[in-house]
Amino acid sequence: MPKRVSRASSDTAWLAVLLAPALLLPAALILMPALGAFVNGCMQDVTFLPRRWAGLANYARLAHDPAFHQSLRFTVLFIAVSVPLELGCGLLLALLMQAPSPLRGMLRALVLVPWAIPSAIAGRVWELVYNYTWGPANYVIKLTGATAVNWLGSAEGAFLALVIADLWKTAPFVAIILLAGLSAIPERLYRQAEVDGASFIRRFYAITLPLLRPVLVVAVLFRAIDALRIFDLIYILTAGGPGGATASLSLLGYLYFVGGDFGYGSAISTFIFLIALLTALTVVRLGRFGKSLQ
Amino acid sequence: MVLLSSGGEQRLRNVLYGAGFCSALFFLLAPVIFMLLTALSRRPDFLGNGYSITLIHFREILTTPSLHFVRYCINSLAVSLASAGITTGIASCGAYAVTRFPFKGRTAVLLTILSLSMFPQICIAGYLFRIIAAAGMINTWAGLILPYVAWIMPLAFWILISYFAQIPRELDLAAFVDGCSPLHTLVTIIFPLAAPGLFSTLLLTFIFAFNEFMFALMLTNDHAARTVPVGIALFQGLHGEIPWGVIMAASVITTLPVICMTLLFQRRIIHGLTRGAIKG
Repeated sequence: MPKRVSRASSDTAWLAVLLAPALLLPAALILMPALGAFVNGCMQDVTFLPRRWAGLANYARLAHDPAFHQSLRFTVLFIAVSVPLELGCGLLLALLMQAPSPLRGMLRALVLVPWAIPSAIAGRVWELVYNYTWGPANYVIKLTGATAVNWLGSAEGAFLALVIADLWKTAPFVAIILLAGLSAIPERLYRQAEVDGASFIRRFYAITLPLLRPVLVVAVLFRAIDALRIFDLIYILTAGGPGGATASLSLLGYLYFVGGDFGYGSAISTFIFLIALLTALTVVRLGRFGKSLQ
Repeated sequence: MVLLSSGGEQRLRNVLYGAGFCSALFFLLAPVIFMLLTALSRRPDFLGNGYSITLIHFREILTTPSLHFVRYCINSLAVSLASAGITTGIASCGAYAVTRFPFKGRTAVLLTILSLSMFPQICIAGYLFRIIAAAGMINTWAGLILPYVAWIMPLAFWILISYFAQIPRELDLAAFVDGCSPLHTLVTIIFPLAAPGLFSTLLLTFIFAFNEFMFALMLTNDHAARTVPVGIALFQGLHGEIPWGVIMAASVITTLPVICMTLLFQRRIIHGLTRGAIKG
């Protein structure tokens, strides 16, 4: 009996020793800064000015700040356009990677290339692609006889440019997740459907889509959170321009931090956090993460 | 569709697949190929103007001291290797504890960790800057490694748990009967069995640290600790004009090893990524 007790207490000690660093570091450097930003959002905290409690003044300012409204509109629109596009292209890529074809292996390897390239470098490469006078995008457009698009200098062009570059960077990740979901669908379902005379498209709608649903839900929400926090590509490709038309919420928060208005930047980042939290809770609910851990 | 004979459907399918493969490969690779072409071209506006190949940009980026590119590479490698090693080490201890010692609130702990990985970086960046500044670690390797370890930990933790959970607990018990401590068991029994999982985790954490941008942008201010992505993002020409050839040469030098590594270990990376993304 004493031996059992000592075993149990030494287990607890080991649990604590082994688990503590893995929990404490993220707690200190992720959770604490996030909470700090939360508190700071209620402060007047501007460089060279005294730091003082401001209550909800920063949030009240959010409600009347046209730059924030523009940024919010852009971010929501960006999520609404890019996430479905990435899901669609990701699904197409996944289906291609699963297709019985000699090119399948090559595609499975090369699909990781955009994913592996640092987004900062991807941003610079796309900046080149979108160059107005000699970039390949306009070169091809001009070959077809159409007029060149002012990719990074016009609001619509910049939006489209960001959507395409982000699609390139992230569709592979979606494809890889969806491929795992596709591989889990039993082959015999397709064979039976084929015997029953169901067409290619009918099989896709009746078998693939419904069985892929749980994985699709996870992919949608992962991508939605990522699109919500988009920063790197925008910082490099448009820097939020022209005229703030493509300033995502993350970029806006960053600009206030760098500009020295710490309190307002924190209020913006807390706002982003709350949206992300809502989305994450939805992931946990819909993805049933809790259940799979039991 | 229903009217098509099965042979017709097969042919249509092959045509669709062929077209799909070609356009997918083009979309995935065209920007990378254009990066390489620009790096090797004497001038960036070669489309329609004739191409003349040169290595001058590679020589310039590697030998011009004022560009600090070599220093950026050293910073990036040091910071990413250290971050990947430390994260994987700490996370494997934690993952071992979680899979071996059941405790109350385990699910809550795991969900908290999962939710940490979804925090928008900007929510952390501002205050993190103050913490690192207060510690006097702005513009140092340690000032990047610490946040990276914390930031990548949830991912590593999550992947490793799924690998460790598959190793039968009888092996642990046998080691325990032999008088091994949990740490000893982890190193001598679990690590060899979970070697592929550990390797996937190291690869992924390295890539994530290597590619990180926002923290590196805010926490460094010159070549002493600046990493390659930030260096390349902030490259400005000495004479006002953007030196595209040089920037693309730097991009090629940076991405080629990453791409080779990815192609070489694609199975391990895909395995790790899908484990991290979909549990159960």
